[in-house]
Amino acid sequence: MSRSGRRHLHAAASVLAAAALVLTGCSSGGSKTGGDDKEQRQNAERQKALIKFGDAAASKGPAAEVPGAKPGGTVSVPARDSYAHLDPAQIYVFNEMQVALLLHRGLTGYKATSDDGSKHEIVGDLATDSGTTSDGGKTWKFTLKDGITFQDGSAITSKDIRHSVERLFAPFINQGPPYLQQWLADTPGTDYRKLLPDGPFKGKHLPDTILQTPDEKTVVFKFKKPHPDLPYALAMPGYAVVSQKGDTKEKYDKAPVTTGPYKIQSFRSGKSMVLVKNTNWDPATDPIRHRYVDRFNITFNQQYEDSTKALIADTGADRTAVSWQNSVDAGNLSKVLNDPGMKSRTVIGYQPYVGQMNINLSHKAMQDKKVREAIAYALPTSAFQRAYGGSAAMETPGGIISPTVSGYDPSFDPWGKKKNPGGDPAKAKKLLQEAGKVGMKLTFGYINSQEGQAYSTAMAAGLKKAGFDVQRQEVPAETYYDQVSKLDNNFDIFNTNWGADWPSASTVIPPCFDGRAIADGAQNYSQVNDPKVNSEIDRINRVTDPAEAAAEWGKLGEYLVKDVINVVPTGYFKQTQIAGSRIGGLVYDDVIGGVDPRRLYVK
Amino acid sequence: MLRFLLRRSLGAVVILFLLSIVAFLLFFGMPRDPALLMCGKTCTPANLENLHHVLGLDKSIPEQYGIFLHNLVLGSDGFAQGPCPAPCFGYSYHTNEQVWGTLMDRLPITVSLTLGGAVCFLVIGLGTGLIAAWKRGTLVDKTFTAGAMVISSMQIYFLGPLALAVLVYQTHLFEKPAYHEFTADPATWFTGLIIPWVVLSTIFASQYTRMARSSMIEQLQEEHVRTARAKGMSRRYVFFRYAWRGSLIPIVTIFGIDLGSLLGGAIITEYTFGLPGLGRLAVESVFFSDLPLLLGVMLFSATMILLCNIVVDAAYAYIDPRVRLA
Repeated sequence: MSRSGRRHLHAAASVLAAAALVLTGCSSGGSKTGGDDKEQRQNAERQKALIKFGDAAASKGPAAEVPGAKPGGTVSVPARDSYAHLDPAQIYVFNEMQVALLLHRGLTGYKATSDDGSKHEIVGDLATDSGTTSDGGKTWKFTLKDGITFQDGSAITSKDIRHSVERLFAPFINQGPPYLQQWLADTPGTDYRKLLPDGPFKGKHLPDTILQTPDEKTVVFKFKKPHPDLPYALAMPGYAVVSQKGDTKEKYDKAPVTTGPYKIQSFRSGKSMVLVKNTNWDPATDPIRHRYVDRFNITFNQQYEDSTKALIADTGADRTAVSWQNSVDAGNLSKVLNDPGMKSRTVIGYQPYVGQMNINLSHKAMQDKKVREAIAYALPTSAFQRAYGGSAAMETPGGIISPTVSGYDPSFDPWGKKKNPGGDPAKAKKLLQEAGKVGMKLTFGYINSQEGQAYSTAMAAGLKKAGFDVQRQEVPAETYYDQVSKLDNNFDIFNTNWGADWPSASTVIPPCFDGRAIADGAQNYSQVNDPKVNSEIDRINRVTDPAEAAAEWGKLGEYLVKDVINVVPTGYFKQTQIAGSRIGGLVYDDVIGGVDPRRLYVK
Repeated sequence: MLRFLLRRSLGAVVILFLLSIVAFLLFFGMPRDPALLMCGKTCTPANLENLHHVLGLDKSIPEQYGIFLHNLVLGSDGFAQGPCPAPCFGYSYHTNEQVWGTLMDRLPITVSLTLGGAVCFLVIGLGTGLIAAWKRGTLVDKTFTAGAMVISSMQIYFLGPLALAVLVYQTHLFEKPAYHEFTADPATWFTGLIIPWVVLSTIFASQYTRMARSSMIEQLQEEHVRTARAKGMSRRYVFFRYAWRGSLIPIVTIFGIDLGSLLGGAIITEYTFGLPGLGRLAVESVFFSDLPLLLGVMLFSATMILLCNIVVDAAYAYIDPRVRLA
């Protein structure tokens, strides 16, 4: 998904410096507290290994104790952005997904199998295991655990699961992930809504050929095509359970009935949120979560710079404060990383996002492969890195598959960016001369944010050196993604960011590069329509072995970058977060792509 | 006086009416479709059409405006999110919350910031201005005048972070600014807002210093003041009893405008100190193309400014009996 979330809002989010949206599977090979770059890469290497599906034994609660943890205390959480959605089905952006870990439970979830947040397996959360399939992923069966309840004490049954699935089709659910709906309806894009246009609210239900709930405990999904990734998808907070009895439709978005270890005591949009213990949560049923802290006080409107300074100062209530959403701001990054005293309360890790310079293939001039090669060689990706705060905030990329996703190849670097991130204008100029296009006009659309201003200026200079007549065109940040996703936009090149929804390139390549999904507002920004890519997407989607699929996605990603050249990767995003000195259990979780709020305790 | 107030109030209503029309038209001139913004990643043409219908965007602009006015005056039960009693600005497109409720939720922050700041900048500004006028031509006068000049050239986005860096993060003399409800804990309310007040007042106080000084000096040269001195009244008595009252008119005028503007939202101050008041809400409403919220904030802010102006006009009559006679 796009870095800033709800597609039409990412401009908004990225203006304020990228309200990153991480989806459940967006791992982020996090270094543990304050590690060096080599350590981060090792963590990423570990992470790109496949996350396995756990069995019934692995799905039993309670979660293993965090070493040294003790109950009690209040934790303050400074956050820049408020939560626009709390209804699980509407949750698809990073900060909402992070808080959802404490509030909502789904059929499956990611269980950390190491104390440093680097190893995970998919286990049953509300279900007794991560799901069983007997036909390669076409039919999936889940059995609900005993003793699972909503915050009001009422039992969670298969009727609630059916209701949660069916309401995904209702018109007012329009912000969450689309995978499960598309798989059930067996249709790409947005036509899935035709399956149950009003959701369950007008008496209609999904037929038994699609969803079965034969008793209180059993849920069976039936797909027309195999979907071996289902346990990953169901681990997204967007597919957490919603109470059938307590469903207030649109109003549920502000006051959901929770199932996790915490419930919402108060939520004042744009101001604050207070989470307190959900006394009807039974840790014995939950292999994933802890509940050490008595209360979380979340305060919104705290800019990155302010929260960083307050946490560095480490006085008063800030000693028990921690960043969930907020990163260390670019201005204080080196101070934090170079202060030995900060190391124990600093965590660093990759985010799942990859920046990519799109080359608009709908423009005739861009259909000349030599021109695209020239752009790829000339583009100084170092400018992108500098704009976001240097090597601590961004890594020079080779391909479009990030270090946090299965199929990542660290040696892949077709344009020599890792050795020469400043670009190779001489080589690019030679290619332009061969194409007879020296001095050709190149319209560069850039986002009018602080970062966009910075990187576009330096990138334009690099491209000019290679012989392009670069025309920079500013695009207001609020409408950036709306404008670049229009089919008739006049930009030859423009940058977008995308992150995987779970550690598989199946959530990167099909949404961004399937030629059959070219449409106004769609995410195939470069408008690539390559027959080989399209057929490979179909073929790999049918591969049921995750390891084999990962390798195949990796090859297809390399084909796109090296041979099709519709995008030039510009950066792998990284993040540094800090906490007060009295915060314990501070871990950068690879799957969350940030601090894990479930393990925190007050020292 | 009653007639005067009635006339001004009616004028204010007309201004608000015209303003709401302008805001409505400006919104539809924006390049974004709020329905598309809400429609999300899984949007379909059918969903988009449905959202247009739900939001009432499929109706003509005059028709939408008519509904807006109707809801504002009479309220509405036609929203999917629930009933919306008058004054109903509708529900926010972005948060799905009632706009009036959001305004009332944010208002105490802005009121606290404004009133505290106003007390500070009035005390500091008038105090230094009067002292400068009293000590005209002395080093004290020159120091205050020059100081006011220097400070007036600074901005909140410079002074704010500087104050935070020095007073909060380095010396730890003050706690980080935050809003705590006055009714819950007056002490933390006070300590949480003291830095924003001081920074806000520093910027505003300088103009009051200069205004008070020049106005006072002007008054001191008036014939009735000089006559009073010639009659043997003490300098102090003349200064405060005669000149002070006369110098208040321009100060009250500018104070009314400042107070109204601040009650409409001190955007930069609220952003600098992370205070979620009306100013921040105004920015968010534009940011998210949130028409109900935008109209709500705009009309509420305009009402504050107009109300303050009416109060100021009424205050003229109290301060200067000649106005009453006129």
